[in-house]
Amino acid sequence: MMEELAKIPWAVIAPLIVVQLVLMIVALIDLRRIHTTNGPKILWVLIILFANLLGPILYFIIGRKQS
Amino acid sequence: MRGLPILLQKEFREAWRSWKFLWIPLVFAILGMSDPLTNYYMMDILHAVGNLPEGFDIQLPEFVPADLLQASIGQFQMIGLLVLLASFIGSISKERANGTATLLYVRSISFSAYFISKFLVISAIGFVSAVAGFAASVYYTTVLYGNFEIGTLLACFVTYFIWLLLVIAVILMMSATFNTMIAATGAFIVIFIGQFLTILWDFLPWSLPSNGVLLIRDMMYMQDYWWSMFMTVMFTIISIAIGIVMMKKNTSMVKI
Repeated sequence: MMEELAKIPWAVIAPLIVVQLVLMIVALIDLRRIHTTNGPKILWVLIILFANLLGPILYFIIGRKQS
Repeated sequence: MRGLPILLQKEFREAWRSWKFLWIPLVFAILGMSDPLTNYYMMDILHAVGNLPEGFDIQLPEFVPADLLQASIGQFQMIGLLVLLASFIGSISKERANGTATLLYVRSISFSAYFISKFLVISAIGFVSAVAGFAASVYYTTVLYGNFEIGTLLACFVTYFIWLLLVIAVILMMSATFNTMIAATGAFIVIFIGQFLTILWDFLPWSLPSNGVLLIRDMMYMQDYWWSMFMTVMFTIISIAIGIVMMKKNTSMVKI
């Protein structure tokens, strides 16, 4: 198991994972703060968590409701 | 230009609070990463999911760094510009529709200052995004393929940023002129459909991004380059001017 983990080229993969995580966390923080969204909030939580790259982007474009 | 610093501050705070300074650059960074990565691991991806027959062999083309930067710019041109379009097309028309504009228009602000403040803040976001996208693409290309020459790379970046300025000016102009739906369609047509014209001519604003890559390849015919640059700057200024005039004219569209 550890050998397999060591075989992954982390220098190549790590930035991608970091960027994706940051995007996801920012979207979740914003979702926590915002008053209402387009559509139910719990749905957006699921989309952000499981549609891994597209989820946060979709949330920021269509999910946020400007008050 | 009365009140420009205050309006700038307002726009900046609004963009900051809605996380636009963070998430749009991150999207560009992901777009920049995707092409060098997928091309480098193409063989592995094909073996894993491609369902290739036994002993099947493909000769993949040998890429030079400029090819990958061009592919990344292609991503920015499609998805990146769509993200910019979607998140900024309402910046003036939505304010008119939901009544925020009423609060502003009753004060004695100048419309040019208001338009310029929006343009500057969105340009700043565009600049950060372009930096993030180029940095990601160049980082992966350098790690996986090879080095760029720093001078031409910077020239390519500046060229792309000037193109982004035109895109932002067109988006704001459309937003000032029409309501959000029509503005989105209009900006989409101008920005995306216009790109087909580059098949015919090399000196139009729409060919500026690919001209930037040609600078790296050292294959650019400089006269065409300067023409496209000149036309882009002209179109940007004209768009800003039309935007300010239409914004003033459309004050009656404000919902009270």
